[in-house]
Parts: sequence; structure tokens; C-alpha cells
Amino acid sequence: MKHSFIDEYSGLDSFIHRLDPRTKLIASLAFIVAVVLTPASNWRVFAFYFCIIVALLIFSKLPPIYVMKRSLVIFPFVLLTAIFIPFFKEGEVAGSYNVWMWQVSVTYSGLFILANVVVKAWLCILALILLSSTTRLADLLKSLKQLGVPQVMILILSFMYRYIFVLVDEVMRMQQARDSRNFGGRRLHQLKTIGNMVGTLFIRSYERGERIYAAMLARGFDGQVRTLHKLSFKQADAYFGAVFCLVLIFPCVIWW
Amino acid sequence: MHIPDGFISMPVAAVGIALAAGSVAYAVKATNKKMGEKQIPLMGVLAAFIFAAQMLNFPVAGGTSGHLIGAALAAILLGPWSGVLVMTCVLIVQSLVFQDGGLLALGANIFNMGIVPCFVGYYLYRGIASLFPKRKLGVMVGSGLAAWFTVVMASVACAVELAISGTVPLRVALPAMAGVHALIGIGEGLITAAVLALVLATRADLLELQKA
Repeated sequence: MKHSFIDEYSGLDSFIHRLDPRTKLIASLAFIVAVVLTPASNWRVFAFYFCIIVALLIFSKLPPIYVMKRSLVIFPFVLLTAIFIPFFKEGEVAGSYNVWMWQVSVTYSGLFILANVVVKAWLCILALILLSSTTRLADLLKSLKQLGVPQVMILILSFMYRYIFVLVDEVMRMQQARDSRNFGGRRLHQLKTIGNMVGTLFIRSYERGERIYAAMLARGFDGQVRTLHKLSFKQADAYFGAVFCLVLIFPCVIWW
Repeated sequence: MHIPDGFISMPVAAVGIALAAGSVAYAVKATNKKMGEKQIPLMGVLAAFIFAAQMLNFPVAGGTSGHLIGAALAAILLGPWSGVLVMTCVLIVQSLVFQDGGLLALGANIFNMGIVPCFVGYYLYRGIASLFPKRKLGVMVGSGLAAWFTVVMASVACAVELAISGTVPLRVALPAMAGVHALIGIGEGLITAAVLALVLATRADLLELQKA
């Protein structure tokens, strides 16, 4: 089976795709920190950051619909925050409604918190989408290593990345087999079936891990992994990094 | 429960990152001591296993469906430190590939869904399992209750972080989050117990992994 759901658009070619993954990772993190640190209600700053990220998204040639769909991941949390808004009692009341038997009143301060959080979260998720859709995961992991994440973690993550495809395949085959045998019935029975599937998957995964290790030993694995491909920090990265930093600081200088 | 960026404040995120970085550094050492260089392929494949297991949806009340978190399962099968390592890998990939959970909030997410459930789940399981004279019953009841409780604990940690950041009011959010997840956690508990029953019946030796 084919799984294109992992770094689907990282194969495109654009100015952003060609940047060094380290530049992109640090720039994304800086952008997210800048957004989170921006004090509430600085709408001009948020608008400014929004323009930057949209410009970069356009440069990167990512399909807009895909970006929008991806950014819906934050929706459950937006909903969660929205549910609790009526419980912020302080401040001026913006509107009061009779919902069934409750008197629900929404205050301006509550709405303010919601709007603020939604805007920040959305800006951050766009930055994260830009990062992960323009960089191959393998390159991203390499850059993490050079930024100080321990080598062992990186190796484990690369193994995980390699075997996600195999195990997802295995799960899909199991699901197909289950569904073709009239899966359904009482809820407890369904849970037991899923429990058996997960258990079987665990045993198979564990045995696969041991086989992989044996195969690696047979090929002379000594705990070290050597790779050929080196990341290259180009002039374009230096320019992009410098300009991006200036742009991020720009709102602090003129609006604070 | 994956917190996106922007929902927690900078100080909360920074504390989360510090806690996660420290625990993961120690987890790498602890697992390495236990299984040496075998750690790399094994932990990688098992992280992929948790990731794949999370794709299996089960029905929850009202037409909605949930899926396993798997932190308690990982900790019970592999021991708490290896569990933390596996869950950290899963959360990193979910954040970097699916934007499920933010980059800056990664530390807080590792704390909520890795560190807290792995330790709470593992020791609760050991405690409850030792109360039963019959091994199979003890393993099933212990793992089920522990897995249910870890889901509640993870949601409590999440609610507290959101409240400290000023995103939700604590006195309403805490009971609401804990209450909802006490229901969601039932599925996690039952499935975890079923998984352990199967492993106990087919490869009981794998249950001794955490002690090795």
C-alpha cells in the first residue's frame, strides 16, 4: 500500500524547499516564540505576522486547500476553550442568552481570551505546516541532531520513520481482514477485538525489532551509524535568516 | 489532548521543555543500560507500533470514536523509562509531521502524554497487580485500571497547564476535563487489559521485559 500522508509536498521545488533544514527549523521556532510572546490585543502585530507567513506559504507553492485543511487540527482545542468562555465572570457582559434552563452570559474578557488564543494558535500552526511540508523528515531529523538532540534519539526516530509505513500497512491489512469478517456487534466485543489486534501487532513489532537488530549485527553494526549526506549551509540561508530575524523584530521596534 | 502552540503561555511551555529534555536525556541512558545498542532498532519499531496502534478507532458513546493513547500500555510492557522514550518519539513525529501538537508546546505534551502517564500507569499497575493472588486477573485488572487512570491524569495535567496560562478557568475546566476523560478512558482501560491478556496467553515472556 502507498502512504503519501507523510511529508507529502516535501518533494516540490521552491526557494523555501531549498533552504537548509536548520535555517527553517530555527526560523519556525523563532516565529512561534515571537507570536506567543506578543502581548494580547496587538492586532496590528498579528496582522503583520500573518502577512509574512502567507507570503512564505505562497512562495513555497503549497496548495492553499491542503494548508487550510491541515490547520484544522487546532479545532478541538478552539472548541474546548470556547466552551469555557462563559465561565469567565469578570468584566463587562457582551451578551446574555437563555440556553434551555441556564442563563449564560458571555463577557468581553472571555471573548477576548478566545480571540487571542485562536489567532496565536492559527499563526503558529501555519508556520509549523510550512516547516513540515517543505522539508523531508529525514533532513529535519538531521538538523535536530546538529542542534543538540542526542544521537540516540535521532537514530530511534529514523528507525521509527522507516517502520511507520510497514506497521501502518500491517494495521490496514488487519482492519481489512476484520471488516471482511463482519466486524461489529456489542461494544465490549468490539473493544476485545481491537485489544487482540493491538496485542498481535505488539508481538509482531517486537519480533520484527529483534530480527532487525540481528540483521544489523550480521552486517557489522557496532552502535554507530555513519551517514554520507551532509547538510549544507548556503549563502541563501544566511540572507534568509538575517532578513527573517529583522522582520520578526520589526513590530517590536515600531509598535511597542 | 495534543496542545497546539498559542494555547499555553511562554513560561509554561519553557518549564515543559526543561522537564521533558531532562527526563528524555535520563530515559535514553536508562534504556541504554538495560538493552545496549539493541535499544535503537527496538525502540524505533515499538514507537512505530504505538503510532500504528493509535490508528485503530473504537466507538465511544453518541457516534463518536476514540483511539488508544498507548502510554500506559508502553510503560507496562517496556518499563517506565523506555515507555517515556517511545512516547516522546511518537509525539515528536506527530508534531513535526501532522502538526498534532505544537512545536513550542512539545515539552508540555511530552510531560502530559509521556512522563505523567508512563510513571503513574506503571507503578499503579504494579501496585494493583500485586494485590491479586491469581496472576492473570491481577494483570488484567491492574493494567485496565492503570490505563484508565492515566487518561484522566493526562487530562488533569493539560487542564492545569491551560489554566496557569490563563486560557481556561481552573475551577470549571478541571472537573469538566477530568469528567469527560474519565468516560473516554474506559475504552483505553478495556483495550489495554485485552492486549495484556493476549500477550500473557501467547508470549508471557515479553511481560518480563521491564524487569530485565
